[in-house]
Amino acid sequence: MGSGVWSTDVYDAAKRYRKATGKSAFSYSDSGARTVHTALDPKGATRESRDSAEHPQSTPIAVLFDVTGSMGTVPRTLQAKLPQLLGLLQRQGYASDPQIMFGAIGDATCDRVPLQVGQFESDNRMDDDLGRIVLEGGGGGQMMESYELAMYFMARHTVTDSWRKRGRRGYLFIIGDELAYPVVKAREVRDRIGDRLAEDVPIRQLVDELTARWDTYYLLPAGSHYSGNRKVLDFWRGLLGQHAVELDDLDAVCETIALTVGLGEQAIDLEQGLRDLERTGSAATATVSKALARLDGGRGAQVSTLPFTSTGRGSGVTRL
Amino acid sequence: MNHVVVVDLGYGDAGKGTVVDWLCATRPVHTVVRFNGGAQAAHNVVLPDGRQHTFAQFGAGTFRPGVRTHLSRYVVVDPLALAAEADHLTSVGVPDALDRLTVDGDALLATPYHRAANRAREMARGADRHGSCGLGVGESVAYGLAHPDEAPRVADCRHPERLRRRLTLLRDRLTAELGPLDAPPVADCLPAFTGFADRVRIVDGTYLAGVLRAGTCVFEGAQGVLLDEWHGFHPYTTWSTTTFANAETLLTEAGLAGSAQRLGVLRTTTTRHGPGPLVTEDPALPFTDPRNPTNPWQGRFRFGHFDAVAHRYALAVAGGVDGLALTHLDLTGRPDSPAQRAPGTGCPTDGGPAPLRICRRYDTLDRLDPGPPGDLDRQAALTARLAAARPVYDDGPPTDWVAAVEAALDVPVTLTSHGPTAADKIARSAQVAGQLVAVPG
Repeated sequence: MGSGVWSTDVYDAAKRYRKATGKSAFSYSDSGARTVHTALDPKGATRESRDSAEHPQSTPIAVLFDVTGSMGTVPRTLQAKLPQLLGLLQRQGYASDPQIMFGAIGDATCDRVPLQVGQFESDNRMDDDLGRIVLEGGGGGQMMESYELAMYFMARHTVTDSWRKRGRRGYLFIIGDELAYPVVKAREVRDRIGDRLAEDVPIRQLVDELTARWDTYYLLPAGSHYSGNRKVLDFWRGLLGQHAVELDDLDAVCETIALTVGLGEQAIDLEQGLRDLERTGSAATATVSKALARLDGGRGAQVSTLPFTSTGRGSGVTRL
Repeated sequence: MNHVVVVDLGYGDAGKGTVVDWLCATRPVHTVVRFNGGAQAAHNVVLPDGRQHTFAQFGAGTFRPGVRTHLSRYVVVDPLALAAEADHLTSVGVPDALDRLTVDGDALLATPYHRAANRAREMARGADRHGSCGLGVGESVAYGLAHPDEAPRVADCRHPERLRRRLTLLRDRLTAELGPLDAPPVADCLPAFTGFADRVRIVDGTYLAGVLRAGTCVFEGAQGVLLDEWHGFHPYTTWSTTTFANAETLLTEAGLAGSAQRLGVLRTTTTRHGPGPLVTEDPALPFTDPRNPTNPWQGRFRFGHFDAVAHRYALAVAGGVDGLALTHLDLTGRPDSPAQRAPGTGCPTDGGPAPLRICRRYDTLDRLDPGPPGDLDRQAALTARLAAARPVYDDGPPTDWVAAVEAALDVPVTLTSHGPTAADKIARSAQVAGQLVAVPG
């Protein structure tokens, strides 16, 4: 006749629901921290997505979001909806062995924490990384954030077995609502990441380098400060083409990411993905449908000619 | 829509969980609907890759991607146990169980005060325990009947002040009756309940009708018909209607009366966890059930031979079924299903075929007739007769269990189970097979 298997402790339950709703998820930031957590410090760091016995076919997925004023709710939304993202990716089989990395983007000209990057994780340790992000909440007020610094890190400080062993690009999602600075400044790279560059790198050149190895998307949510401003969309369309995606509803960000990966892996077509969303009870179907309509149709993950040989100290990072 | 209602025709533990999981693995199921009981349910599901979960409040189809759970107003909802259960589901690779859950706002809440009162009462019964699980489900139902307008309900979790008032009133009433309760202060309980409301989608009574039109639903019963509040053997019963009745009511409200397939679940050995009649109990049967350990509230898990007399009674009480799912056929030692299986539920400890028999009559009576619901004196008298009855076995262990059960109960066996996972099930009729798709994993 059954039995009481699960704990009925009120204190445990309150904690569990708090965790599940993301209320205290950003405890590091909420407790007043204003410097980058050591686990997320990009200085001298390399982030790796590796195959293992448990995850033999890793698919790296990086999600970097603007944490300045107008975009402050993005990480909290992500945290609350993370289970759905993972659920869609893993259980619907959109991607083999997804490994997700979170990072945060600020403004290197005026913020204390302009770049934070977590590690690629395939379980809820990625939750821990989210919890360590400092939500800056400032921003420079000049319609620019240091997206280029984040892209520099992704281009030169990540190693993925997906690319090294299989020649498959990873997925990079940048969520924001402003412009990037036109060049990656050598001084900022030295201060924040540690590399010594002889000169600044123009953003166009960096994007070419980045997109060779990362299938890169810019998600521009509606309702954010500058989203109605064509200048922002035009800027990112200029850099990424149709991979600059407008999103009606920020709440749909996880579903959009999951379906974009599913489309990229050719695991689904858009119609199938929208059906899956409906089945999981998602309210985001219309938003996702609109956002991704341009991406659908015969566009798969790009595979380089094998065997792919890595260069640059065996790290797979192509140096300029 | 090919809705299915799954009900246990014994004392529980027949294998509803694994049958519901199989149903969800073999057809596109929109939602598993719970229509009785509460957190004391323990429906075990094992996947072929070894992952296991004891479903209490989530539907036993939750391992299958996208399958949702709806807790109807007949469920006593325990948000505290729900949080722990969701955590375990996450740890076995199902991180989105809470996202796939809806709860009817009218459902009663089980609270720490109900639980403490439940335990206090059961302890006061001493040796005459009813076999309660000690989770306060019955206590919550009793309070809901006595104080329908003041009992804490799921929707109250969205209104902290109202919930505080109702919890305080509840605590004070129970304390006045039973003395100090072993439960935390109201203020400490509130965050857990409001946290639940923030995280889980609470819906009204009209929600289910939409779901029933949107896709196939599986109604998952809890406990067993022989424990039914009105038709079970009083006082060893549960505060819950365990027959098809609640499910039929919900279907009727959606304009779908009588449309669902009624599937009864029975196990080749009749079992009971907790005190009360089990006429065919045989301590010599070489079974153990690792999923049902001895616990302080129900004691030892009891095994008996297949009690066709009791199961015929359950069928009559429940108003009949369209088919039976017969589980644990691996226990009967048929050559095509080795008795010594991988660790699962209820393996014979000695590895050999069990001398399980079928009891078709008792020494003093050969049938039990259902009475009108609500006549508990009659049910108590029935309990007394059962306590004195001895099983009669007219023949040895059956060679063809399916045929023997069909003959003894006059109902077709439409699904057989030969092991713990969905892959160990065999559909014996096209109706039950439904739209078969490959079993994942």
